[in-house]
Amino acid sequence: MYAHPFTYHRAQSLGEATKLLHQLGEESRVIAGGQSLIPLMKMRLARPTALIDINFIPRLSEIKDHNSEVRFGALARHADIEMSEHIAGIPILHDCASGIADVQVRNQGTIGGSLAEADPSGDWAATLLTLETSLVCAGPQGERLVQMDDFFKDAYTTVLGREELVREVVVTKPAKNSGGAYLAFKRSACVYATGSAAVQITLDAKDTCKDVRIVLGCVGLTAIRAKQAEAELRTKKIDERTIARAADAAREAAEPQNDMRGSADYKRALVAALVKRAIGIAVRRARGEHVEAGHEYVGR
Amino acid sequence: MATTLRTKTKKTKAAASSSPAKWVGQPIRRKEEDRLVRGKGIFVDDQKLMGMLHIRFVRSSYGHAKITRLDVSKAAALPGVVCTLTGAEVKSMVKPFIEIGPDAGQKIADYPMAVDKVVFQGEPVAAVVAETRLIAEDAAELVEVEYEPLPPVLTAEEALKDASLVHPEMGTNRNWHGVFEYGNIEKAFQQAAHVVHIGRLHFHRFSSTPLENNAVIAVWDSRSERIEYWSNNSFPSFAAQFLSPALGVGIDQILMKSFDIGGGFGIKITNYPYMAVCALASRKTGGRPIKWAETRTEHMQASAHGNERTFFDTRVALDKNGVITAIDSRHVDDCGAYPRYEPLGCVIWAQVLPGAYRVKNVRIDVNQVVTNKCPVGPNRGYSRMQQLWFIERILDICGHTLGVSNDEMRLRNYIRKEEMPYTTPNGCVYDSGDYAGMLALGKKLIGWDDWKKKQAAARKEGRWIGMGIGSTLDSGTNNFGQAQIINNFAPFSGQSKAANVKLDIYGEVVVSLGSVPQGQGHETTAAQVVADVLGISPDLVKVKPGFDTEQNVYTGHTGTYASQFAVTGLSAIHGAAVKLCNEISRLAAWALKGKEKDLEFAIGAQGPEVRDRRTKKSINYWGLANLVNVNNAGMPETLWDVTLNCRHVYHAPFQVPDVKRKYGNLTLTYAAQIHVAVIEVDRETFQPKILAYACVDDCGRTINPRIVEGQVHGCTAHGIGAALMENCAYDSDGNLMASTFSDYTPITAMNMPDLLYGHMESPSPFSYNGAKGMGEGGAAPVHTVCAALQDALYSSGVIIDDSHNTGDSIFRALQRAGSGGFASMVRVEHPRPSR
Repeated sequence: MYAHPFTYHRAQSLGEATKLLHQLGEESRVIAGGQSLIPLMKMRLARPTALIDINFIPRLSEIKDHNSEVRFGALARHADIEMSEHIAGIPILHDCASGIADVQVRNQGTIGGSLAEADPSGDWAATLLTLETSLVCAGPQGERLVQMDDFFKDAYTTVLGREELVREVVVTKPAKNSGGAYLAFKRSACVYATGSAAVQITLDAKDTCKDVRIVLGCVGLTAIRAKQAEAELRTKKIDERTIARAADAAREAAEPQNDMRGSADYKRALVAALVKRAIGIAVRRARGEHVEAGHEYVGR
Repeated sequence: MATTLRTKTKKTKAAASSSPAKWVGQPIRRKEEDRLVRGKGIFVDDQKLMGMLHIRFVRSSYGHAKITRLDVSKAAALPGVVCTLTGAEVKSMVKPFIEIGPDAGQKIADYPMAVDKVVFQGEPVAAVVAETRLIAEDAAELVEVEYEPLPPVLTAEEALKDASLVHPEMGTNRNWHGVFEYGNIEKAFQQAAHVVHIGRLHFHRFSSTPLENNAVIAVWDSRSERIEYWSNNSFPSFAAQFLSPALGVGIDQILMKSFDIGGGFGIKITNYPYMAVCALASRKTGGRPIKWAETRTEHMQASAHGNERTFFDTRVALDKNGVITAIDSRHVDDCGAYPRYEPLGCVIWAQVLPGAYRVKNVRIDVNQVVTNKCPVGPNRGYSRMQQLWFIERILDICGHTLGVSNDEMRLRNYIRKEEMPYTTPNGCVYDSGDYAGMLALGKKLIGWDDWKKKQAAARKEGRWIGMGIGSTLDSGTNNFGQAQIINNFAPFSGQSKAANVKLDIYGEVVVSLGSVPQGQGHETTAAQVVADVLGISPDLVKVKPGFDTEQNVYTGHTGTYASQFAVTGLSAIHGAAVKLCNEISRLAAWALKGKEKDLEFAIGAQGPEVRDRRTKKSINYWGLANLVNVNNAGMPETLWDVTLNCRHVYHAPFQVPDVKRKYGNLTLTYAAQIHVAVIEVDRETFQPKILAYACVDDCGRTINPRIVEGQVHGCTAHGIGAALMENCAYDSDGNLMASTFSDYTPITAMNMPDLLYGHMESPSPFSYNGAKGMGEGGAAPVHTVCAALQDALYSSGVIIDDSHNTGDSIFRALQRAGSGGFASMVRVEHPRPSR
């Protein structure tokens, strides 16, 4: 389990990282937390000739409460986010951060790295797609702002240019009468989820659904926005009937594959169940209730 | 039968050893812990020897294929590569491994590396040896291999057809066949009130996941013609008996050493093919040490899996009260590509032929087949857990079918406490036990009656809650004579262990173990036993970690397997300690000019000593050791046999079984595990959630309750993982689908329920200390979880027919149930309707 030989370069700034990516050529890779890249390198499925370490770039891991936004530096670790006081009003972020893989991965893995990796089973994509999220990306031509909805192109593929990096993840704080939940079902601690569902609901004064976003994880090449499921709830009273219709629509929206985590049919059933529950929790949270939620595991 | 098994313990003259146990039975902290938690453990991969090289295997990506081209030249040319090995070269250097099985099995040519064709994914086809592990890994990628795929044999059904052969030289895939028949089957079925027919049941492949993978360092010294092994093989005597004829080296020239081992659970018994290749690599490089440290993927693909077993055409006869009177069934065991410990598994299950039950008439037709999957190795609960799972499934399926609750079903069928020692239909003697009492304790711990009420209320809400019981026997101290039932030429029988206890020159009490501990706390329990014999404390007993043939404390049975250390290992240690005690007593009587009857063993101001009660004179251990070892002029000739260095070999009291009738006592002790679980299957995610879990164990007199409880926790985790998560599944091309932990998902703390633990003690009449071996109750949760799932889902038309159940498989079973799958699975007849 030894990686192919590579050279190691420590970048002091994002600008330098971008330059190094250019100089070191096609086979160079950026390393942040390394929680995806290092296992791939050890199994020799990834064979970069050069690694550019961005972990020593100052202030890239800060989490800032900035008026109507929370801004996460690309190097913010999952565990930093889980513990951050700035996400108190956005419980869906806690649901997600607190259950990503195991403690070691959460201590090391980063939000920027996870998004840039664009693994179809990553937790952050589904979660952040339910919120107003944008990404500040830095490249040779300077910075640009990319909306989260436009960021993912395919499995392991984003709109980032080869020499472009995520610098910051900007999340707009949801309204007071908005609540969200992220539920993911995992077989054991250290693995990707079998299926996940993220829901963010905003209620109006009459307790009907003003707006909603429903996103499914692990059941397609990218996280899937279940727009029909959203339509089943939007402007409607949220009750057993509308929730069931939304869950059915989510089942239809999923595009899962058979693998060791489960059969495609099963995964459809699973995400439908998770959507149903996540709606329930999101609504309670939108009403101001405190509800514990997050990842669930086989056996308990 | 039972009475012939009683062992007589010789009373010792020494005063101390007849005094009541002070340390045995105490939950003292493990002596090993300080070393291990401080990172001072020494594992094979920690060792670095001068001139050491590293070996890396090139492995087959196919399950079944001809090797059409193999070229190592590019690898050999890489700087830092010292040599390469190919299958053809290995074949020229060794003889195939001996085969335990008779007939067709004898024709298998099992070389430690594939020669012309590969028969499982991960089988080594070549190896490279290099100065560093990194170079070896780079070089392995340069080996060019081309294959021509052959149709893989992947299930019991396919294997029996013999359409594609794993080993053409066998002429069949059937490695062993035998019928185990006891009582009067036909009569029992004729007289039955109910006959339940059960369709195909399947016990899945899973393994153990020791923290430490396999690892070996081998040195084949061309001057001494000795092979020195530092390994984590857990049954070195067995490995040596395979390696010696294969390598053409006298068995006394093969030295085996272990120190700390990071878990084994039986799986490391069959790593000897890799040990063989490492020795050959050492020989080829002029005697340089060769290290092999397996990666996790190599471990998953190509070390060993547990036995997979399929049960066909099961018929169960019951009387009108639901008491099982006969079982008739056909079992096919899948041992993977090579029978490397097999076909012993074809008889070892018979140690628990009727499970915990009184059924007298049993006929089981056993086939073992080879397939294009990883060879199996003994996996905690080896071969017995498959049989126990089968029996437990029968109990639950019959109970549900006849409307008898699962606890009542067990109480009606359990062997009673007062029937102990109980002789099973095939001549095994259950030494002691109170299964009904254990069940009562388990029910009390979990709050069975309360849960019954909650279950009934939940069912009304449409929830699926099941309550299950699993009855597991952990048969320990095996009689190798059962191998003769497999092959009547097999030259093994009985069971033995050696140990040495001495006073060293400065009076230290030193124990050399004849076992190969892998985390079971042998250093601690050995010290407790010796401390009681000598009247000292365990911290004054130095127990050498690990095993070393150079210490001459081995027999042909040496190893740690088959739940036996508390009986065999400790009996050997106790015997050696008693011998030492007697020698000390004789020596001290002379030194103190007193009489042995007046002596007492104690701890004085200068450490352990022997005192004369009458004269108040004393001599400490240093003084005694000094008199024998370095200051022995003037010692009377009558004491010249006193060496203070005492070896003892324990022999278990076994007979060779009656091979024709397949009858005889196959194990000495039977520890038991009764587990009770409450599980809810989520109606929407179909995921099983363990709401409550209780484990009750009885392993006779406990030496150290803390160690026993730890082993019960470990076993339970292993079993819950096996039941709900872990599965060595292959796809239809013969690719292992679970070659990393991401896919195999070994159980983690996040999956574990809180365990309620209960303990009972039914002392064994067959061990000097009343103890029974334990630690192999590994599959107890497999039975228990399946029982609870069956209880939860029976009313929805689901029969739990597999030992591995996930949300996905439950989802699919419920879909099948909707389309009438149930009727084909279970059918009931009433030949003699009850009046």
